Amino acid sequence: MKSDNTSSFVIRFTQKIFDDAEGKANIQWRGKISHVQGGDQKSFSEFEDAIAFMQDKLSDLTKASVASKSTEEKEGLLSKSFDIWKKVAKSGPKMVMDVIKDPKGQVSQFQDQISQVGDELSQKIELDDWKMASKSDYKSMMQTMEKMAKDISKLSKKIDKLSKTK
Amino acid sequence: MSTHLEAYTNFKNITKKIRVFTLGRFLMEIDGEVVDSKLWGRDKTLQLIQFFITNRHQFGLHKEVIVDRIWDLDDDDQGNRDFKVALHGIRKVMEPNRKSRNEASYILRQGASYQLQTDDIWIDADAIDFYVKLGNQVYDSDRPLAINAYQDAIDLYKGIYLPNRLYEDWSSAERERLQIQALNTYMALGELILNENSRECIRLAQEALTIDNTWEEAYRLQMQAYINMGNRPQAIKVYNECKKVLDKEFDIAPLPQTTKVIENLISI
Repeated sequence: MKSDNTSSFVIRFTQKIFDDAEGKANIQWRGKISHVQGGDQKSFSEFEDAIAFMQDKLSDLTKASVASKSTEEKEGLLSKSFDIWKKVAKSGPKMVMDVIKDPKGQVSQFQDQISQVGDELSQKIELDDWKMASKSDYKSMMQTMEKMAKDISKLSKKIDKLSKTK
Repeated sequence: MSTHLEAYTNFKNITKKIRVFTLGRFLMEIDGEVVDSKLWGRDKTLQLIQFFITNRHQFGLHKEVIVDRIWDLDDDDQGNRDFKVALHGIRKVMEPNRKSRNEASYILRQGASYQLQTDDIWIDADAIDFYVKLGNQVYDSDRPLAINAYQDAIDLYKGIYLPNRLYEDWSSAERERLQIQALNTYMALGELILNENSRECIRLAQEALTIDNTWEEAYRLQMQAYINMGNRPQAIKVYNECKKVLDKEFDIAPLPQTTKVIENLISI
């Protein structure tokens, strides 16, 4: 049923521009993150705190979903879930700050990266179109991405082989 | 009469067959009569009309997307059936006398896409947008009109957007947008009336702080209003409260411009 596997967050950033004690222009970011399904919210001035908040809520979600599984399976799933979050915690703040500094540039960069992946995705993706994607569109996207992942894996093996023969 | 004043007067006098209130509660009026909430029947029928209202500016919502967002069922056929029932429920409430062979007037269909036709529907969120936009446009050129427009917007902001859908992610963006707009409107109106009505200015700032107790501009505005009224102790009290909240929530100090208000006061 709905929302058992979904957690949504609304993040509000407010910028404060001010002159510091030495008269130099300065900027400060203040944030507030809300967990939609649970209703909790947290204020933050360091993005790491927002990441920690999300991690906390998502851990609860995973814990609730694996409650009926064996201890071994539970540990495996939670460990995988934490691994993903370690990566997000590492790269998330930088990505968000880059987007804040230059949102258009970042979107354009993402689009360029996507377009370089292969012929199938050579056309730039308009973000607005994603809002209208249907379930079958998502399925088809997932299948394409799975196929690409397999192709990349094969390619990596070939490169490994070639490196060894050299 | 200026173009802006004319637009304001026309907008205020406009009458539409259906009026929808989404802030602080959900309520629909047809020809001035409030729709009994029981008429919606199932909650999903009500949720579907609220979803259409939330996405009123998006052209053509695909049925699959709607079913996915509201029902999220693994069984597509079941989702389609539920959608059809809910859509029928909406049409029954909004157009009770429509003959089945006649085209629906409010929920339009084009292929597998649907959209709410808002030409004959007044929605409080849209009215707020109109008043705030107008207030911003005449902020420097027509102060009395700006004050009236902002006041009308604030009068319509009765609380958060669709409170009964607080935990549905499809309503979050609109809720956040309107809340920020309300905060900014409280501040804009407060600044405009600061010197002529400090008491009301304090009330507006306090209203803003009930929405977000970390909104520093609201503390600053309140401090300035208390200073205008010659109430120095209360201004200092507000500053201390601001300091306490910002420290607790963000672990930061108030901005220099806020501290300066109190420093100027102490140095007098």
